[in-house]
Amino acid sequence: MSRRRITIATAALAVAGLALTGCTASENTDETDGGLTVDLSNLATTTEPGAQPVDEVKWNLPYEPMSLDPIFGFNYAENTVTANLCESLVRLTPDLSTEPGLASGVEQPDDTTIVYTIRDGVTFWDGKPLTAEDVAYSLQRQVGETATSYFSSYFQNVESVAVTAPDQVTVKLTQPDVLFTQAMGTAAGAIVQKAAAEAAGEAFGTPDGGLQCTGPFSLEAWSSGKSIELAAYEGYWGTVPMAAKLSFSFIADESTAINALRTGDVDGQYFYLPPAGLTQLESSDEVTTTYGKSLVFWTMVTTNFDGGLGDDRIRQALSLAIDRAALTKVVFQGAGIPATTLAGPDYWGYEQEAFEQAHEEFSADADFERAKQLVAEAGAPTEPIVLAVQGSSAVHEQTANVIQAAGQAIGLEIETKVIPVEQFGNLYFDETAREGIDGFFTTNYGSFADALDVYQFFASTDSHNYTGWDHADEQLFAARAETDPAARADLVIDAQRIITTELPWIPLAYEPVTLVQNDRISGATASFAYLYAPWAASIGGTE
Amino acid sequence: MSLRAYLLRRAGGLLLVLLVTSFIVFGLLYLAPGSPLAFILGPRGGTPEQIAAVTAQYHLNDPFFVRYAAWLGDILRGDLGYSIVYRQDVSSLISGRIGTTLALVSMAAVIIAVVGVAAGTFAALRGGWSDQLTSTTAAIGLSTPSFVVGVALISIFAVGLGWFPTFGSGTGGLDTIVHLTLPALALSVASAAYLARITRASVLEESGREHVQTATVRGLAPGYIVRHHVLRNSLIPIVTVLGLTIATLIAGAVVVENVFALDGLGSLLVRAILQRDFAVVQAVILVLVVAFVVVNAIVDFLYTFIDPRIALGSRQ
Repeated sequence: MSRRRITIATAALAVAGLALTGCTASENTDETDGGLTVDLSNLATTTEPGAQPVDEVKWNLPYEPMSLDPIFGFNYAENTVTANLCESLVRLTPDLSTEPGLASGVEQPDDTTIVYTIRDGVTFWDGKPLTAEDVAYSLQRQVGETATSYFSSYFQNVESVAVTAPDQVTVKLTQPDVLFTQAMGTAAGAIVQKAAAEAAGEAFGTPDGGLQCTGPFSLEAWSSGKSIELAAYEGYWGTVPMAAKLSFSFIADESTAINALRTGDVDGQYFYLPPAGLTQLESSDEVTTTYGKSLVFWTMVTTNFDGGLGDDRIRQALSLAIDRAALTKVVFQGAGIPATTLAGPDYWGYEQEAFEQAHEEFSADADFERAKQLVAEAGAPTEPIVLAVQGSSAVHEQTANVIQAAGQAIGLEIETKVIPVEQFGNLYFDETAREGIDGFFTTNYGSFADALDVYQFFASTDSHNYTGWDHADEQLFAARAETDPAARADLVIDAQRIITTELPWIPLAYEPVTLVQNDRISGATASFAYLYAPWAASIGGTE
Repeated sequence: MSLRAYLLRRAGGLLLVLLVTSFIVFGLLYLAPGSPLAFILGPRGGTPEQIAAVTAQYHLNDPFFVRYAAWLGDILRGDLGYSIVYRQDVSSLISGRIGTTLALVSMAAVIIAVVGVAAGTFAALRGGWSDQLTSTTAAIGLSTPSFVVGVALISIFAVGLGWFPTFGSGTGGLDTIVHLTLPALALSVASAAYLARITRASVLEESGREHVQTATVRGLAPGYIVRHHVLRNSLIPIVTVLGLTIATLIAGAVVVENVFALDGLGSLLVRAILQRDFAVVQAVILVLVVAFVVVNAIVDFLYTFIDPRIALGSRQ
């Protein structure tokens, strides 16, 4: 090649390179500008119900579910699908309260006995009626120390589950447990057919083993790696859905998902964190974006009290130095609410006034003077604080930047360690994975509108409590066994006060549900209830 | 060497390679930290009792040789094993994805072969500006990451013009071809550029050979010379590179699969490695090794057609 050719080739490459960087740079400014108009004080619970039948609704999931068996569904994609398939004893309503589900009645003759009356006229997709046997089986299989249900912590106080009448199942508890009763409104209380589950064994809920439930949609096909197809169940005991078919794709790449939504290749998706291309969706005239009430929060978890975060004052100082308003604006593009306590306003399902007052004791505002003072008192840690950051996640990286900046401002040295997304889950329970790490970021949620379900994580016996922190044990255990709402609220508020002061985890933001629907359909549940109640039953075509 | 002897030798070699690869991969996975527990116990973790029960159930703490021997025994009985993360047989996980991968790689291979050879020959024979343009384009193609190409293709042809769908692998037949066009293009850009450069160099070299000059002097038609004297003789390096490229595309398609939300073997492999899903990793590796060996065997066959002097299995 002659010299001149090389120069031309290089020049061409340079131009191409410039064009590429130019492209990304302009995209970035679009993203960080935010400029969304989200009314965070008045989040939606529902969307306009569909007006007419529709042949097919194509929905996207952020990843392929591992299983559709409800006991293995404690995550976004899994629950998004199973919520339409398998119904629970109690049903979570869009405003996050509850109504009767497969149990037409729930009675508590005493604090440790719960009697569920099974709804009459309910049939499985194969036409067989729902029996008390099926209900007892569905709960029974989650009881016991080695039960592998993802929800087993809700069953820790269950002594027995028994069929006590043809339409009645009685649960006996070893001690009163308000979390168990409320968990029956989540996938923990979802009912599957005993015969089908026993026949399929471990394959139940996988592409090979199928599923048998009573929901408004039935599982038609699951082609591994490609799609999950549901069909409206004509024999449903409630209102038969307007969408004849509901199919799920698994687009993990956010920009591809956004493009698919913009072109109408998929009709909708729930995002638990606002996606990077949110502004493109907001400005699109093909889709409508709705922000819904949610129990999801964004937090920094402390994994280790031996390192730099061991001193209460250092955690308090770091929390005080965080500009949460900037964090929600930059990281969540405005679609986030600065968090003062871990459990936000949508958790106030009872004794709302008491919780509201207690919430006002704390502030999400930054206070650098006080923070510096705390660091001076405690003495800055000699070793840097190491935070684990999930790989290829903009939200994780940007939050880490905000926290690093906050630390720097008050004299704390903070380092980050990137962990691939597939291995990030190990942090939650593998002690060796947490070695050398002082904290990590996570979205988390309680499953129903009771702040206790969140603060429960800090009981010293809970699997979320990595540090063995036990300063609120007394209040937490007492609250879990307290069936009187007012008395329970007092205990939970006490626990919240201790937790928010000592900060074993640092609250960062409350995350509304981001629901995107193509304008040709409407009716999906807008709130967090989409994880546990049939959110697609009301979807139909628009006029 | 007779065809029969050749096939026997190839099959023997394949078995040996499979055994060695599986041992090395299993060993590396075993040594690497981490476990599939997170995916068995769920995002909320588990109690020590649950962890102990699951560990015992799936033999996660068994010594290395016990686990490897158990896996090898299953394979010999024709059982690819069970994915503890997906709670499914590995064979059904693979059969669901192999079609997508096969279709994608075949389409990309056709594009690479046609575009690469055509562009390379064109550049070599025309010279001058055409050559410069092709070489520059090839340089850009080689240096542009496939996900950038993928995103650009989606923006232009799927979102902008609406000619192609944005994602997925379609429902079979023509629909699949339409769905896989953009991914196959994205996947083939770098390899086609590479092949174009190889072809160009090879054709240039052949064009300068004495037999080509002789043919030109004898006044044969230029087209005939190119087809029978130049191209045919430059085919050996071209076919070698093409074969190697196609074999690496199978696992190398991960990035493109991700951009177009296709679930092929590449994505399955990467996920399985990160999830420490031993059975799946092993099975996909086996498929990849078999594919590699088969593609190379085909290349060997092609050599004997391109140049009859080369005997099957010879080292020439």
